[in-house]
Amino acid sequence: MKTSLFRPFAALLLATPLFFASCSDDSDPEPEDDNEFITTIRYRLTPTSGTGQAITAEWKDVDGAGGTAPTISTITLAPNTTYTGTVEFLDETKTPADNITEEVKEENYEHLVVYTPNPTSLMTITRTDKDRNNLEVGLTTTVQTGAAASGNLTIRLRHQPGTKDGTEAPGSDDANVTFPVVLR
Amino acid sequence: MLFRFVAFLLTAGVCLGFARSSAAQSGCNLPLAGRITDHESRQGLAGATVIVQPGQQATQTDADGNFHFHVCPGTYQLEVRFIGYATERAEVRLNSATVRNFQLHPDAVTLRGATVRGERVQAPLPQASSSLSGQALQQTRGQALGEALQKLPGVAAIQTGPSIFKPMIHGLHSNRVAIMNNGVRQEGQQWGQEHGPEIDPFIASDLTVVKGAASVRYGTDAVGGVVLVQPKALRDSAGVGADINLVGMSNNGLGAVSAAVDGNLRRLPALSWRLQGTLKQAGNTRTPDYRLDNTGFREHNFSAAVGWRKDNYGVEAFYSQFNSRLGILSSAIVGNRADLEAAIARGRPILNPGFSYQIDRPYQQLQHDLAKLSGFVKTGNGGRLTATVANQRDYRDEYDVIRASSDAGRRNLPQLSYQNYTTTADVVWEHPTLGNFRGSVGLSGTYQFNRYAGGTRQFIPFYTNRTEGAFVIERWQHERLLLEAGLRLDHRDLRTRRLTRGFETDSSSFYGVARNRFQFWTPSASVGAVYDANVHLTLRADAALVQRAPAANERYSQGVHGGIYEEGYDISRPAGTLPLQPETSYNLGLTATLHDNPRLNGELTVYQNIINGYIYQVIGEPITTIQGSFLPWRFQQTDAVFRGVDATLDYQLAANWLLNGKAAVIRARNRTLNDYLIYVPADRFELSVRRDWAGQKAARASQFFALVRGTAVRRQTRVPSAEYDPQPAPNGYGLLGAEVGATLRLGGTPVEVSLAGSNLLNERYRDYLNRFRYFADDMGRNVTLRVHVPLNFSPN
Repeated sequence: MKTSLFRPFAALLLATPLFFASCSDDSDPEPEDDNEFITTIRYRLTPTSGTGQAITAEWKDVDGAGGTAPTISTITLAPNTTYTGTVEFLDETKTPADNITEEVKEENYEHLVVYTPNPTSLMTITRTDKDRNNLEVGLTTTVQTGAAASGNLTIRLRHQPGTKDGTEAPGSDDANVTFPVVLR
Repeated sequence: MLFRFVAFLLTAGVCLGFARSSAAQSGCNLPLAGRITDHESRQGLAGATVIVQPGQQATQTDADGNFHFHVCPGTYQLEVRFIGYATERAEVRLNSATVRNFQLHPDAVTLRGATVRGERVQAPLPQASSSLSGQALQQTRGQALGEALQKLPGVAAIQTGPSIFKPMIHGLHSNRVAIMNNGVRQEGQQWGQEHGPEIDPFIASDLTVVKGAASVRYGTDAVGGVVLVQPKALRDSAGVGADINLVGMSNNGLGAVSAAVDGNLRRLPALSWRLQGTLKQAGNTRTPDYRLDNTGFREHNFSAAVGWRKDNYGVEAFYSQFNSRLGILSSAIVGNRADLEAAIARGRPILNPGFSYQIDRPYQQLQHDLAKLSGFVKTGNGGRLTATVANQRDYRDEYDVIRASSDAGRRNLPQLSYQNYTTTADVVWEHPTLGNFRGSVGLSGTYQFNRYAGGTRQFIPFYTNRTEGAFVIERWQHERLLLEAGLRLDHRDLRTRRLTRGFETDSSSFYGVARNRFQFWTPSASVGAVYDANVHLTLRADAALVQRAPAANERYSQGVHGGIYEEGYDISRPAGTLPLQPETSYNLGLTATLHDNPRLNGELTVYQNIINGYIYQVIGEPITTIQGSFLPWRFQQTDAVFRGVDATLDYQLAANWLLNGKAAVIRARNRTLNDYLIYVPADRFELSVRRDWAGQKAARASQFFALVRGTAVRRQTRVPSAEYDPQPAPNGYGLLGAEVGATLRLGGTPVEVSLAGSNLLNERYRDYLNRFRYFADDMGRNVTLRVHVPLNFSPN
């Protein structure tokens, strides 16, 4: 038997642990968050006249898709009243909470906030802010409520990089939430 | 510990091998047959001389280029000579009826020294298998691996737009298809439907697909079949050669350059080397009516190999790196269900861009490294011990659309970033012939761990996966009958570590790590037969049982990935129920092959695969997130059955006129729900006519050919009624293709040039298995120019 035949094999086998040594494996997943997360949407409504109360409605889901159910507050407004509205997007998994609204404002030329009341007679919402291309953004709004009724309001943050044309069709939803609404 | 065992086996194996080296031989009636053809024209060469050494048997080929011998089992040198062609030699190890075809290269003067060393001829497989090599492979240059493999009947692909093709064999894919890249099982993020194999197809000189379970030899992932990506064997004659491929496409402006240089030293004939590299870039694909934005891709790949080969032993080191950036049609990354439905209703992408090579978010950035060391020692007469150790690193970053001013946007971070490290070790000992028995035993081990980068989404948790397997395959050969039986046992130890988030009463969150461990022993067994009814008809049958333990993604994937919310079975399984269990497959295949006939050749395969506990994804009830309502794709188990037929037919209509037909039909049922299964390939048929003009070998231009091809795909009407598909299956379609080519002689170098057109009628169509079918049409007309330049710089 020729022992020389074994030399390449011996070398090969000796090299094997080196392959293994390069792949140590002892780390745990780090508690570091998703890098682009929205957990909370706040809609603040202040009456421009009359005795109505200012309210802040909140839609919140800190653990993301699945897991525990979101908490959703009801928007309770006075009928036939005009409000000014401001919307806020937050990431509350960070401490302190990360204010996404600032990023949206900075890139308002590729974002559009879409408000859809159901039924449509519930309220009329007008976007009052514009981007550098003179297209509406919707971070600030005026809200004219209708007669006493109940229904809901869907707020969508559309991300439309390179495609914003003033309509809601392009892009995709970065946020899409529905609040119950009561006018009384 | 495994390796100590391996070392022991190596020692024991070699000693046993030498002791057995004088084992008796019997059965000197093995048919050895083949056909000698011209490499370019594929015409049979009549009157070529074939010599078998040792034994000095010689014969001349008949009018169609066929030859036959009857010999004893053993190793032979075959030599083929024909005036005007380079002599070819090949080593053939015979332990069963063997067909060995040769394609001779014209003009021995210009091609002197380009001796093609015979690669080891594998024993015939009882499973059906198909290959792409030579001119058939040349006709796919520039395509992705999964795209090229669709040429083979029974092989389809799950497609994500124009650049990502995931091979599907007999209706099975991902965790059920093993891809062997140069002898190493490809490991990375193989599970994703929009994750193409990270392999440069230019590296291959042969692409073979084994259709049907080959798990005993290739591991439990080979339930559906195996894709073998085989590079050319290292050069064994002194000199330096090169091979240059150039590809250009009209539709998406694809340009590809691939070159390989190999050499063998005259002073050190045992030493051979090869360097290979590919550059590829493509821009936005055009459908008949519009361009698809952001569908460009680029690749740069290289590999190096060096080998030391003696008659009785050899070692080879191989390294390859694959780098790719793949743009994803931005309209295809929809968020929630409302966006998906709006995109489907729109019927076409909202953007209609011009041509551009630019790639923006969303895109995938991939890197795959493979380092391999392998060696063999011959152990006596016909015995052989092979060992392979390989290390793979796979990086996959997925960049979705992001707010550029967010922290991640500013730093241009990916949303998903996986890292996978895999070490595999394999030892196989083929024992010497014992009477009518030949066979092999083997051990294989895999150690793998998977990570995601900090600051990116946990979609697949951290996991480590260890598998150990042992197998034995024995073949018994008597005259024209070969019987094969194999057994394998695998152990999979999967440990996962998932980050979990809990909440305090004040709704502040805290983190924990959930650890789980799953261990399974899974057996595999197979029996098969190959019977040469006569020299032109071979019958095969195989039956296999395979158990496959679930992979990490089937258990614990969770989150939004490529616009789809996915959830592993063990994430949402009800409390108190068992975790995901291994699936068991019962596979049966029958194949009849007509071969080496002057006129009619072909192959027919029928198969059935019953999979109990089949793990698949089902769309569940919508879930509410802050991004709106999502349709979750949840992993479930069911009992399934796949049945199908693959057929190919070649008919020589007249001299130089060849008719070729292919058909693949598959039916898949969910036996638990008594319904169809989702995403099963539609019936597919192909017919082509080819005309060859041999011409003068030494002429400036020769070997002209032209072919016309029609492809018809029926509408998939067998879709599940119980499961939700956002859009019904698209209509069937027919495509027309054509190709012309010739060999030009430029300064003594035979340069192969071809021009191929696909979808010549610029038809609008969508394929059922293309994930972009919800958003856009498939590729329109495309014309591809291919140039292949073989160079040889031999001494003397």
